[in-house]
Amino acid sequence: MVTNLLTLALPKGKLGQDALQLLQAAGLPVEGVATEARQLTFTFPAPGIRYLICRPTDVPTYVEYGAADLGIVGKDTLAEAGADVFELVDLGFGYCRFVVAAPRERWEEAGRSLENLLAGSRRVATKFPRVAASFFQERGLPVEIIKLHGNIELAPRAGLADLIVDIVSTGRTLKENDLVEVAPIFSSTARLIANRVSYRINYRRLTSVVEALKRAAGQGGEKIATTN
Amino acid sequence: MASNLPLQLPAGVSDLLPPEAAALRQLEQRLLNCFRSWGYQEVMTPTFEFATTFQAGSPAGEEGALYKFIDRQGRVLALRPEMTAPIARLVATSLRRRELPLRLGYSARVFRYEEPQAGRRREFHQAGVELIGAGGVAGDVEIIALAVESLAQAGLEDFRLGLGQVAVTKGVLQDLALPPEAVAGIKSALASKDLVALERIYDEYHLEGERRRRLELLATIHGGREALEEARACFGRTAAAASLAELSRVWEALGAAGLEKWLFIDLGILRDFDYYTGIVFEGYVPGLGAPVCGGGRYDGLLAQFGYPCPATGFALGLERLLLARGETAPASLAGGYLVAGRDLAALLKRARELRSKGTAVVLDGESRSRQEAAARAAARGLNLEWIGE
Repeated sequence: MVTNLLTLALPKGKLGQDALQLLQAAGLPVEGVATEARQLTFTFPAPGIRYLICRPTDVPTYVEYGAADLGIVGKDTLAEAGADVFELVDLGFGYCRFVVAAPRERWEEAGRSLENLLAGSRRVATKFPRVAASFFQERGLPVEIIKLHGNIELAPRAGLADLIVDIVSTGRTLKENDLVEVAPIFSSTARLIANRVSYRINYRRLTSVVEALKRAAGQGGEKIATTN
Repeated sequence: MASNLPLQLPAGVSDLLPPEAAALRQLEQRLLNCFRSWGYQEVMTPTFEFATTFQAGSPAGEEGALYKFIDRQGRVLALRPEMTAPIARLVATSLRRRELPLRLGYSARVFRYEEPQAGRRREFHQAGVELIGAGGVAGDVEIIALAVESLAQAGLEDFRLGLGQVAVTKGVLQDLALPPEAVAGIKSALASKDLVALERIYDEYHLEGERRRRLELLATIHGGREALEEARACFGRTAAAASLAELSRVWEALGAAGLEKWLFIDLGILRDFDYYTGIVFEGYVPGLGAPVCGGGRYDGLLAQFGYPCPATGFALGLERLLLARGETAPASLAGGYLVAGRDLAALLKRARELRSKGTAVVLDGESRSRQEAAARAAARGLNLEWIGE
């Protein structure tokens, strides 16, 4: 077994593909690594690098527990996970926004005011209960959060919720479901995260990778972002 | 038959089976012996006290972290979330007349309402020491050296202790003269090494040139003597200079004692920024995602109990240490006996003789034959002594 490997957790899907592009630009080995393949671990013994291919929501967990030294994950996922990890670099790709959205008609009736909108029923459907709860708490707005696992835009139509909190990149899904953005929460891009212990005891090794990724993100971040 | 009682445990707590219980007790004894050999005497404080006692202490005593309940007089009590505040109370009351410095050690279960995860429980075991009344370099050196020895005694071979100095960060922030919300943001970002948030703060408050470089260095400085040199060059003429000189003296003394190979400097180690006042440290083991030990100087705590006095100390998480070691001691009764037979009086008599020699003895008055007793002894890894025909 190869010991002393630096382990990087990568997300499956589009974000993972963009991450691989960045890793390649940073001079890290990625030959044969695929984020959509059946194989979930890829090891490069000579440079001592190993990749774990995980569900995006699991990346913070692998890093927090020390199963991975570094990880690439969207800020949206990271904020929801609430994991105790170090956030080292904004990699600049995978852009999306967290927003509060409501049915267009209800929004107009409420005079385009979030407080008025919440005067009646106060149910908010979301895949991101932690992010949603903290947004409304900070504003002193009491709401009932309903956690769903997908197709959040269906909730207002079905009468399950009055508002939704979701991520948008183009806003097309909102438009198709006659929903409008009523408040921005924050913007999200991919982040490089580190396990707090690994970062401290393998500092030299990790920072060389971190610096290479930082440089690559600075040069190629824009290019990667346009592939979204 | 189905049970009417709940068979599962609440989140964040666990049972310890014989092998784990044996390993934990063994570890606890080794640590207490280690503390004793350095002149630290064990104290025990109540499992619950008035909640305000803990709220005077570290963030472990913050509102959301406490398990609270109300007594019949309507007073708010809480299970202890850590041991430093109770020991500070003890020193300020029962031990107030004792000559300083006081060296006190403990091993206790503590309770925190945390999200359960690897090595982070809602009930866990801590062992640690407090050095009360020793200010300055000598106290810091003693505590850090004892932390190194404790980790070695715990059976860890590959561990490192990271040293920070919160007074350096406080000095640098003081010199920057930023608004309180910016300072709060910087503290939070430094403590969680959120370098992305720091970048945002640099931009928002137009921190450029030397001011920005100082903050960047606080977040990234790491290493040995060379890291201290770099820090001195950058912070030498700031409010942080004196505390940096103190950290250098501690480093030199520990290095001269041959402990340097276990140590590194990281000014980003802040622990609980507002609670600690000087040198802080954390112990790390490869492969474990959280520190196994942490401590530092907290010169402001005892004053809150009406007894102003410098203090420093550390605590080790026993479950985390066992997790880091990755093995448990076999809970065997190695070398013990199964004393079997039908004459119970004879069994008790023989068992007493064997126990007086320090041997563990299990009684078996149920086996109907020597063969049956032999099978039972073998299953438990015990020697058999059959009494009877």
